[in-house]
Amino acid sequence: MRNPKIRALIVAGATLAAVTASAQVAPTPAPSTRPGATRPPPPGGVDWAGAVGGLRQSGGGNSPIGRGLDQAAVNKTRVPILLPADPDLMGGARIYSFGDYYSITANLSGARVSLTGTAQTTPLPAGSKLNLPNVGPEQLVVQRTVDGQLASFVRYGVLYTAELRCDAPSDPRCRTETYVRSLVVRSTVVVMGKAARQAAGLGA
Amino acid sequence: MRAPLIFLILIILAVLALVGYNSGWFGTPSSAPTHTTAGDILPGGPLPDGATAEPDEPVGDGGAEQLPDEAQAEAPVDPVKTPDVPSAGSFGHFAAGDLLPKSGSGYLDRTAWSPQLCFPFADDAFANSQVYGAGGGMGPKDKPSQCDASNYSLPWRDNFCESRGHASPLCATGKGHQGQDIRPATCKKDKHWVVAAEDGIITDMGTYTVTLTGSAPPHRVYRYLHMRMNQLAVKEGAVVKAGDNLGKASNDFGGTPTTIHMHFEIRSGVAGTSTDGKAVKLHTFLPPYQSLVAAYDRKRAGQACQ
Repeated sequence: MRNPKIRALIVAGATLAAVTASAQVAPTPAPSTRPGATRPPPPGGVDWAGAVGGLRQSGGGNSPIGRGLDQAAVNKTRVPILLPADPDLMGGARIYSFGDYYSITANLSGARVSLTGTAQTTPLPAGSKLNLPNVGPEQLVVQRTVDGQLASFVRYGVLYTAELRCDAPSDPRCRTETYVRSLVVRSTVVVMGKAARQAAGLGA
Repeated sequence: MRAPLIFLILIILAVLALVGYNSGWFGTPSSAPTHTTAGDILPGGPLPDGATAEPDEPVGDGGAEQLPDEAQAEAPVDPVKTPDVPSAGSFGHFAAGDLLPKSGSGYLDRTAWSPQLCFPFADDAFANSQVYGAGGGMGPKDKPSQCDASNYSLPWRDNFCESRGHASPLCATGKGHQGQDIRPATCKKDKHWVVAAEDGIITDMGTYTVTLTGSAPPHRVYRYLHMRMNQLAVKEGAVVKAGDNLGKASNDFGGTPTTIHMHFEIRSGVAGTSTDGKAVKLHTFLPPYQSLVAAYDRKRAGQACQ
């Protein structure tokens, strides 16, 4: 290394190499949080005209389905509640209402069903793509879970879910989509309590 | 004449440097934990205070939470590595998305989907893989025990999107682990409390699952799997505050024992774009790891959940 030119070359080369190597480790965005990033339901986010149509088609609020639900919780729910036309399933169902979101739990032999509805969604980062090979009508997506099947779909501007959870992992109802899809197909009963009726312009 | 020669030498040096980098001559930054502090328990080190290794029980599912015929729908591939972002004062943990080698491709976005998450264990705990770690069905053959010290040591490791046959649309293949596996402070079941991640209502209880729905928008759904179900502190319909005891970490799995761990999921309604460009809303699984790291940092700093 007596020749300063060669030494300079090596230094320059090493510098370039280091820069190139470090470029392999691209800077990563700092951990981000999204407080308040939840998108509130825009005015008119719920398709109330459609929901009222659904309400009329399912008996105008006189359907026996859902009568067993806690009426105080139903009345505070500000989105249309969607139920499967299955009196046996809904007979002992329990509703937990957060106003803009509800969750209903019902028992089956060896399994349970959960039904939820909300008009709120959180936007995903632009770079995050959803790998969904089979999106059906009403944005129906069925996902296999650890203990069952989770279906979500959008109707009346509301994101609804129907989920089946089995006690035994090997329960055939949870191993295929058949049951949960039938649950979605049977979800035709619209129930609106006071808050939803007010929001729909029906009065309380 | 000299310029091309200099350029050629620079290229050769650059190539040599890159080969050296990829061969680990300069260390392996992407496989190093984000941060390790004094007092951290390192892999292979002693068990934490009070940790008592139990004789291994048979693990019916190898920790996979999946029936054998449904497992491994996708061939595991090495994850795309992301560089670590050291955070001062944090504990030893690998970056989000940096899964164990050959266990799948991690989800790389660093969003904390539950920014105010209450760390779901009352004690310390270790986030890592049940399947690809020691004692797991796909774990190292020379470490057959789930109570191996490496499972009860820092650094933490993400395992959302780890290769599984379950749907997980945010994962590269559309399938993968739907949550984060977390081992309690010691390899002792029915001892360590699992707590509520935020204020909410227990909306469902299964034979090995407890579901907590958050009271505040966007009403995240937290799922806790494998607690001791006959010793729970809550019932369906219970209104809980962040940090309230729910139950004790165990290995309940519908009659088939799994490893002693808690599978922790965060779900929510999201709006995004599918890989084929369609706008879609769905209720799905979100990566818990970044939120857990932040929550554990807060816990270590003595910040209360409520």
